[in-house]
Formats: sequence, C-alpha cells, structure tokens
Amino acid sequence: MGAVEGRLEPRPAVIEDVVDEAPGVRTLYLRMPEGYGEPAPGQFNELYVMGVGEVPISVSDVTPEGLVAHTVRAAGRVTEVLTGLEAGDVIGVRGPYGRGWPLQQAVGRDVLIVAGGIGLAPLRPVIREVERNRVRYGRLVILYGARTPKHLLYKYELERYASIPDTELLLSVDRAEGPWDGHVGFVTDLIPKAGIDPERTVAMICGPEVMMRFTIKRLYEVGLKDNQIYLSLERRMRCGVGLCGHCQIGPYFVRRHGPVFPHWFIKRYFWVDQI
Amino acid sequence: MVSGGLYRGSLGELRKLFNTLRVRGYRVIGPKLEDGVIRLRELTSFDQIPYGWGDVQAPGTYRVVRGGSFRVGPDSPKRFLYPPKLELFRIRPDWSVEYPRERFAPTAFFAIRPCDLASIAVMDRVQGTSGDPHYLGLRGELALIVENCVEPGDTCFCATMGTGPEARDGFDVAFTRLGDDLVVFRPGSDLGVELLSCLNLEPADDSTLRTYYEALREAEARARAPFDLSRLPDELELGLDSPVFKEVAERCFGCAGCNMICPTCFCFDVIDEPLLEGGAVRYRVWDGCIAYSYAEVAGGNFRRDLWARYRHWVLHKFAYWVRQFGVFGCVGCGRCVTWCPAGVDLRDVIRRVVEWVRSRGGG
Repeated sequence: MGAVEGRLEPRPAVIEDVVDEAPGVRTLYLRMPEGYGEPAPGQFNELYVMGVGEVPISVSDVTPEGLVAHTVRAAGRVTEVLTGLEAGDVIGVRGPYGRGWPLQQAVGRDVLIVAGGIGLAPLRPVIREVERNRVRYGRLVILYGARTPKHLLYKYELERYASIPDTELLLSVDRAEGPWDGHVGFVTDLIPKAGIDPERTVAMICGPEVMMRFTIKRLYEVGLKDNQIYLSLERRMRCGVGLCGHCQIGPYFVRRHGPVFPHWFIKRYFWVDQI
Repeated sequence: MVSGGLYRGSLGELRKLFNTLRVRGYRVIGPKLEDGVIRLRELTSFDQIPYGWGDVQAPGTYRVVRGGSFRVGPDSPKRFLYPPKLELFRIRPDWSVEYPRERFAPTAFFAIRPCDLASIAVMDRVQGTSGDPHYLGLRGELALIVENCVEPGDTCFCATMGTGPEARDGFDVAFTRLGDDLVVFRPGSDLGVELLSCLNLEPADDSTLRTYYEALREAEARARAPFDLSRLPDELELGLDSPVFKEVAERCFGCAGCNMICPTCFCFDVIDEPLLEGGAVRYRVWDGCIAYSYAEVAGGNFRRDLWARYRHWVLHKFAYWVRQFGVFGCVGCGRCVTWCPAGVDLRDVIRRVVEWVRSRGGG
C-alpha cells in the first residue's frame, strides 16, 4: 500500500447517534475504526458515503465514550446524503487531518471565540477543552452569530456555556423571527460589547470569510494584534492531505498547513480578492 | 551523475540505440505522427519517429508540415507517469479495499525534448516527494533519451526557463541531430555510458564541436520569452492587483486546456464511481485551476471569476510553485501557448504583469 493510496483509503465508522441541530444541520456521532487517532480541536476528517463521495468535516466533539462528532450542513451532493443517515448506518472515514487551534499558546490567556453559523462546530472542542481544564485558561468569551435563533447550533447546551466559570456568552442573529433577547445584527457588533482584554486575549475565529474579515477589523479596534488572532479557513479539497492542489491559498495548502492559521501568517493572501 | 563527453555518429547509430532499448525489453515511448499531430506513443520501430516532418506552432496554432523539424506536441511524459485517469482502489460493500495490480514495465522515453526532460525533474519534486507510488513505480525503471533542440519553435521559451535547448542533466543519453546523417551523442549516466559504448561512435572532432555549440547557441537565442526569472516570483506577487489578468480573462474561454496540456500541472480530483455489484471504484483524474468547479465549495466559489482563476494559474506556476517545491512550475515548452484555443500567450501576459509592477515602482 502506497503512501497516497493509504491516505486516501476510507475505513468504516458506525453512526451511533444523530442529533438535529438546525434546519438542514445534523450532528453525527461516529464510532471510529480501530487505530483512529485522537483528533485535536480544529482538526477535520474526510467523511465518505460509499459510491457518492467524500467531504471534509470538522470534528465538533469527542464524547467521553470516544465517539467523534461531526456537525454537517446539507449543502451539496454528499452532505445531502450524510444528513439523511441514521444511527446504525455506516460511513467511511479518514483522518484526522490538519493543524488545529493554538491551545498551547492560549494557556494562561483569555480565550475569545468568534463564530458564525456552522463555524461554531470546529470551535466547540475548544469550549470543551477550556471547560474541562478551566484553571489552565483565563476568561472565556464566546461570540456566536447565526441567521435566526433556530439556526443556532447546540441550542441545548449554549446555556451551559454561559455557566462555565468566568465565561461570557453573547449571541447574535440576523433576524429574530420570534421572541429573542439576544442581539439582532452582525456577530461583529458584539465585539465592543464583550469584555475583551486586548493585552491577554487569544482570538479564534471561524465563519464565512467575509465575517472573519469584519471580525478582524473589529478586533483591531479593541486593540488586538495580528499575532493574537487565529482563523480556520475553508477551501475545496479533494485529497485531504494537500496534494490535489485545490486547497491552495497563495503558496499554502490549507489542508496541509492549516486549516487553522495565525492571521499574521496568512494575511498577505487572506485579504486578496479571490486569491 | 555522469556527464560524459561528446561523440559523433550516424543516424544509423541512433537507430541502433533505439533497437538496443527495444531488445533489452524497454517499452519505448517517443514521437509519432498520428492524425496530423505529433503525439507521444509507444514505438515499435525507429522509423515511426517522424523525422522529415516539421510543425508550425504559434499562439493558438499547430500544424504539421513536410520538411523542417518538429517540436513537442500535445503529449508530455506526464501522460504516462501521471496518467489522466488512474484507478486508486476499489471499495467493496464490506469496506475491504482492493488495489489494482500494477506492473511497471521498464520504460524508455526516446527523443523527448529537454523541456520534457525538465518536466520529469519537476514531477520528481512534486509527485516524487509526495510518495505517489504509481509515479515512483514507473520512475524507477525509466531510461531517458533526450534530443536537444537545434530548431526551437515560435512558442518555445526553454532558454528563459533554464531547461533547454540543451539538456544539462537528468538524462541517460542526450543526442543532437546536426545534419541529415550527423548525430552528436552525450552520455549522462552510467546507463548512458553503457548504452553508448555498444554503438559505433567516435569522439567529436573540433569541427563537430564548433558546429554543435554554434547550433545550440543560436537555438538558445531563439527560445526566449520577454522576461527573466531573477526576481519573477516576487514581482508577480506584487502584481496580484494587475489589470492584465482581467484583460486576459476577456479572451480566455476558461477551458482549462492549459492545465491539462501542461507537463507539470499536477492538480487532481478524486472521484468515486459506484459499481453495479455494490461498492465503488475510486479514481484520480486530472483537474485544473482554470475550471470553474476547481475552487467551488457548497455555497460558494473561492475563485468565481475567470480572471482570479487565470491569475492563480500564473502565480502558481511562476511564484507559489517556487515556494512550494523549490523550482518553477513551468519548463518553457510553450504547449499552453500553442494549444490555447484563444491564443493567449503566457509569455506576453507575464511580460505585461511585470511591466505593470515596475511602472508602479515595485519589483
């Protein structure tokens, strides 16, 4: 078995549980095949539907029983099928891939999470990590925006995030569509409202690129520097290991060098239209 | 690495070299005239090499003619070493995986050009270092017989890219045809020394050497593009906002033909074809950054505009590739210029971007 083929070979994983999160969004809890490594927060797996195709999906949780969660939005051919699967179904997996969030650099510092839409999924393991090892990190600030309240992910545990000691959770929606006591507008509007100490904060951002660009501008305004800002990038990818070329941003391969990048490292290219 | 001296011999000795490879069991791949185009095909006879035919190449133009000399056609070694569609494996309904049995017959490329030889060196950096087993399997048993170009075509720019018209290294035998019956040979490896020592040659005399150097010097002067490499990657990165890319996109069809015909473009897609009996076959197929779907994801496209895709192609070849692999992603073969249905001339595009950068005080 060659290196490339080995890396492209999916192995079976059993769907143990499925959770409806939002319209068109479901979380699949997978029993991973033997020998599958522990995914670090921010890493992703390739999920494969036999004969249909593969998609890269971030790990959104690892349960105490070792199930690995993937939150999937039905947006294309493969994800349409994935979101229709049920417990007991088997899919193919390979991974974990990519460089994750900079938790080492965040030790002893405040952690700021800014997420848009499905972008909360790869950041959920960071929240879990801070919650589990609370004393290791400073203040936790979570700013999360979605289209409408019903598009928010993990509604059943968002409240609990707010009750993690020394944690601030602010939510935002584009449209309230019913009773809503959070913010209506952009998630970036929450940045000046949150208690952010620019001296000791590490920011981790995931969402649509336009949202991430606005977030970075707002973070500059409250005093954050490029070397305190990390973002997770999305690109088309076919091989998952940075060989097929699709995931390039400038000279970098998102799947080999990212998906999480320090902003200073990638900003030369990140702000160029359609790079 | 050996780079031996020059020897002279007749066309008959070149034929003998070809036959020697065949007798030794090599699958010999070389130029062959087929449907009015000079392709790379498996050859069974030296006479299949279309010496006596020439080609006319210009942006968007390719024509085979009687007389003169021919240059590279649309096929490059990539087609053989990195095939357009390769079965990676089959997945059975029980999730077992079955790999195709591959037999790598010793292969010789015969009379490929220095630019194509250089493309193999580029692939060694890209596919070789990534551990592509199919590539490495074929590469391991490869004999490389390269023909130096004394008559480059109008779309050739190997001299600018530093890959030709004379092959410098990485070959087993290099030969140069200097007249109807005069061939100059140079061994470039132990295998090359061994192959040439089976022929009946003599050391090149001073007059032959002078003819050889003169012919290649003239060829080198012709195979040039209107830019130089010294600071090209940095200059192009300063040209990301150049309007030139948008102007090109007005003419470009976005067909991705340049990606496909390029001897080094390596991007691939991974596709699964379901099998009737259950399971699926996974293929690796060529893909290209000029294609609309290349940067498309569910809900968006990172390069929805053609100018952005064209810019990525140029920047990848001449800037990012250098950062990624330590070499340029272009060998100056001119295929993308010749075979572009819109006649877009990459050499001219780069010249204009560099001029734009310099006019703004960059570079």
